[in-house]
Amino acid sequence: MLISWNLLNELLEIPATLEEVVERLTLTGCEVESVDYPCERLSGVLSARIEELSPHPARKELFVATVDDGAGRELVITAAPNLSIGDVVPWGRPGTALADGTVLGVRDFDGVRSCGMLLSAEELGVPEIADEFGILKLPADTLPGEDVKRLLGLDDAVLDLSITPNRGDLLSMLGVAREVFALFPGAVWRKNPAEARPGDGASWPDDLEFRGISLEDDGCPLYCMGLVTGLKRGPSPVRIRVLLTLLGMRPISAMVDATNFAMLMLGQPTHAFDAAYLPAREITVRSARPGEEIRTLDGKDHRLESEDMLITSGGVAVAIAGVMGGENSEILDTTENVYLEAANFDALRVSRSSRRMGIPSEASYRFSRIVDARIAETTLEYIFSLLEEWGVARAGYRVLSASNLFLENRVVALTRTKLKRILLTDDIEDASAILSRLGLTEVASSEDAKSFSIPSWRPDISIEEDLIEEVGRIRGYNETLPSRLPGSLHEHGDIGRTTRLKRDIRGALISRGYVELVNYSFLSPSFVELLRLPGDDQRARPLQLANPLSAEQSMMRTTLLPGLLRSVGLAVASGWKDPVRVFELGRVFLPLEEGHEEVERVCGLAYGGRDPRLPHGPSDADDLFTLKGDIQSLAEAHGVRIEYAQGEEPFGHRGQTARLLCGGKPAGYLLRLKPSIERELDCSPLFAFELDLAPFEDPEPLRFREPDPFPPVYRDISMFVPVEVSAGEVADRIRRLGGSMLREVGLFDVYSGKGAPEGKRGLAFSLAYRLCDRTLTDEEVDSVNAAVRKGLAASGCELR
Amino acid sequence: MTSIQAELGIIERDFTEQVSAASSSEELQQVKVAFLGKKGAVTLILKKLGSLPPETRPAAGQAVNSLRDRIEAVIEDKRARLDEIESEAAERSSMVDVTLPHRGRSGGGVHPVAQLTHDVIEILAGLGFSVALGPEIEEDFYNFEALNIPQSHPARDMQDTFYFPDGSLLRTHTSPVQVRSMLRHGAPIRIVCPGRVYRRDSDPTHSPMFNQLEGLLVDRDISVADMKGCLETLMAAIFSRPLKARYRASYFPFTEPSIELDIECVECSGKNPACRICKGTGWLEVAGMGMVHPNVIRYGGIDPSIYNGFAWGIGLDRIAMLKYGLTDLRILFEGNVPYLLSGRSL
Ligand SMILES: [Zn+2]
Repeated sequence: MLISWNLLNELLEIPATLEEVVERLTLTGCEVESVDYPCERLSGVLSARIEELSPHPARKELFVATVDDGAGRELVITAAPNLSIGDVVPWGRPGTALADGTVLGVRDFDGVRSCGMLLSAEELGVPEIADEFGILKLPADTLPGEDVKRLLGLDDAVLDLSITPNRGDLLSMLGVAREVFALFPGAVWRKNPAEARPGDGASWPDDLEFRGISLEDDGCPLYCMGLVTGLKRGPSPVRIRVLLTLLGMRPISAMVDATNFAMLMLGQPTHAFDAAYLPAREITVRSARPGEEIRTLDGKDHRLESEDMLITSGGVAVAIAGVMGGENSEILDTTENVYLEAANFDALRVSRSSRRMGIPSEASYRFSRIVDARIAETTLEYIFSLLEEWGVARAGYRVLSASNLFLENRVVALTRTKLKRILLTDDIEDASAILSRLGLTEVASSEDAKSFSIPSWRPDISIEEDLIEEVGRIRGYNETLPSRLPGSLHEHGDIGRTTRLKRDIRGALISRGYVELVNYSFLSPSFVELLRLPGDDQRARPLQLANPLSAEQSMMRTTLLPGLLRSVGLAVASGWKDPVRVFELGRVFLPLEEGHEEVERVCGLAYGGRDPRLPHGPSDADDLFTLKGDIQSLAEAHGVRIEYAQGEEPFGHRGQTARLLCGGKPAGYLLRLKPSIERELDCSPLFAFELDLAPFEDPEPLRFREPDPFPPVYRDISMFVPVEVSAGEVADRIRRLGGSMLREVGLFDVYSGKGAPEGKRGLAFSLAYRLCDRTLTDEEVDSVNAAVRKGLAASGCELR
Repeated sequence: MTSIQAELGIIERDFTEQVSAASSSEELQQVKVAFLGKKGAVTLILKKLGSLPPETRPAAGQAVNSLRDRIEAVIEDKRARLDEIESEAAERSSMVDVTLPHRGRSGGGVHPVAQLTHDVIEILAGLGFSVALGPEIEEDFYNFEALNIPQSHPARDMQDTFYFPDGSLLRTHTSPVQVRSMLRHGAPIRIVCPGRVYRRDSDPTHSPMFNQLEGLLVDRDISVADMKGCLETLMAAIFSRPLKARYRASYFPFTEPSIELDIECVECSGKNPACRICKGTGWLEVAGMGMVHPNVIRYGGIDPSIYNGFAWGIGLDRIAMLKYGLTDLRILFEGNVPYLLSGRSL
């Protein structure tokens, strides 16, 4: 929201500098994002009268003007075709600086010396205000020798305010002036544009008489219609054009400029219909019929829905309420008579329509933030007075209106107790003074409470806390309040199991060489494809966003792996060639029969690197078992038992994929990526694991066992077993056969290759036997060990 | 001097010569055998003792034994010296280059936002706040309605939201956890909620996902002054030094009054008008906060006439950028491995 400092000072006498106002506004909730001096470099331009004007003796396209700024006459050469004797124009004598910083001097044009330049709007820095080609003409009654920069208001400062959504009342000069008035107790109103101007109430001419206004939609509680006749073509006064330009609007014509200026001043958007093109002498406000169409005045066609509100006339849509007018009744250069609408529309309806249709107009912006219902008629009167003041139309007609408006008188009480509790002050008199400067009226008072009537432009104030906020922000939170810690803040909080677990896992993986990543929680369809997830896989049916930003971010991730693959893929594509490990801790979103669940997971990915050479040889390279070691270190640190079983995953290497189980329930996978995926990503080898955190949140409690008092007795057993029999199975078999005397089974050799029978591999285990109450004899051990060997042989192991 | 004694003198002289000439443990062993072995000089002389007259035997025996002891002691001493020389040579010959890289795994990389999140949680736990977590896929009720943001509220303009076909949404802030926690635990309550939040922001300088941290305290007789103290303590702990704070009135639907906290620029402390971090203002906007709106307390099942409190939200990504000197927000979510590894010394 742009604010003119000059205009603000016309409304209000402010006992403070611009810098003080900026600081105060910023601290009290209306942040000033910037202060701009649009014509900062312009200086020294004076008004001057053209006393004589003749063609240049040598050059046909030039004129020689004799100008007088009250301090003396000089000759100035100009090429502008729009000048006549008696015009008052901006003159830059030598030494004058233009808006772009150029400093003027004396210049010779084929024997005639030009003393500076006569200036156009562009050279003054505001090309938008030009109403014709050539030199800018100043109002005819301008005295020579005036400082044009000040005269036109080009010395202005423009404040860009950031207005919070609750303060629609600040979207006007009037609103900001009210706010500044409240912020500076010494401020005095010079001119309050909201003060009603009684119209003369002339009745409407018969040929323009209106049959009526009907409100058929609750979204429009008030509709006022004014009449302007005998409109003359032409621009608005140059000072208004400058203000509109500085405040971000383009000057168009006196009529349009008057409505725009009134909106900037009072906050009420209006809409002008060309009386000659309004289909009927009536207005009906109603909801659009689904599928109904309208072409707006920017030439675009819109299909409407029933939530849109329409202004219609004779059954024809002539405007989308609060959003934009229709092309059919738009005012043009030739327009003579104008019907002028000032209405009040429901904020939500306007906001939804304008957002859906992508029309962010100045009007819809204001309506979306609630416009003061009491300002509509005032705005029409204000526009009429502008038009009459400018002498461009007759406008003193009675305003017609239709209203379903229910304006309640809101009264809110402020108590000393709550004031003290929140702001630590019990000065309720001071609070009352602050509130009354904000336009609230004290309507009841006792020692410990006061009640206030809330003005119509502050719909955001409805409860006591709102009053306290007003008092708090105007008193300021910085100096008036100490900083202290409530007594209860000295106890210790609990960071909770999940957070502690994630912290520990992070620490463990980072110390094991993993780089932590945080990826978007979205999943791209291309990764569902890359991972070859079949349609019936839960992970291939992710939750879909109804309004994604892009296809890549259209679904919620069901696995953390794609993000890691993407990151490593990008690193490799940008020239990374070293081995690298990455991990992410985060949630996946799994679809269920009914609804979904959010599951915390950890996923790790190791890439072997483009260059496999390592200083200590290939045994240092990552493989499935280094990752298994990482998983085991997490599991053991948290007392979680993970079982590994040969398994399959759509994206897993068919010979190198493990299912992970906790307490018999699936908990994740550990695998090498399918070679075809490695080829597709141009990264090989890739090892990955993904693990649910749930089992970690509920681990077996940590228990310590008494040390065994008697030494164990060891026996080794080696054998050949069929390759399809896993070492885990053989170990389990040994444990079962060994019974209670067998305490530990450790695999110490795996051998396949020369010497191993076809289809078999060698496994060698070390078995530790012991009893807890005495030392075992060799005979006892040999007899149990023989039973184990016998049992193994019976189950198809070839003992060596 | 008896002949035995003369013989012993010769043996000892020979021994001394030979032992000092021995330069390895094998040579030393040969010397030992030559004097103390079965056929060694000392052993032979012992055998001769029997042929001596009985009255001279004890003295001669003593002399031989004494020589043997001395020889043994010298050999042991020499052996220890040779062992030391030999093992030193052996160790030196198997010298390794200690400047070779270590085996296997280097330290990994810390994600700055995850690190900061944990640090902030620890700080707040010390102030009595407990962690509360909530779903990222939220119901409209908790994300908006219960936070005093009804359908018609203009504040919904501020938050463009990702929706699912069933009407649920990706939470746009961590604030829904406020009401969920109040409903679960009642008052008094002190919680902190870190987490991912989502906005449907297509602006190239914004990320559709970012990390927020919400704090909530509801108790009796809580003032704006308590909130100031709490936030200043938090900021000082995050940046490891006290920082000047500035409070600006603002607006959030779920707090009343609403305030924004600016801290002095951590880069220039307001001394550099050309500072790119604070854009010369000297201030950095770091938190939105306020006294919890009575409607929100009511939605949380708590009586606002008895309890009140404050809540705040901070953007962890932005604070991480300020704290660790990061320059690009989006790179934090794009899994840029080389970039994250560059922060190893964090
Ligand atoms: Zn700075």
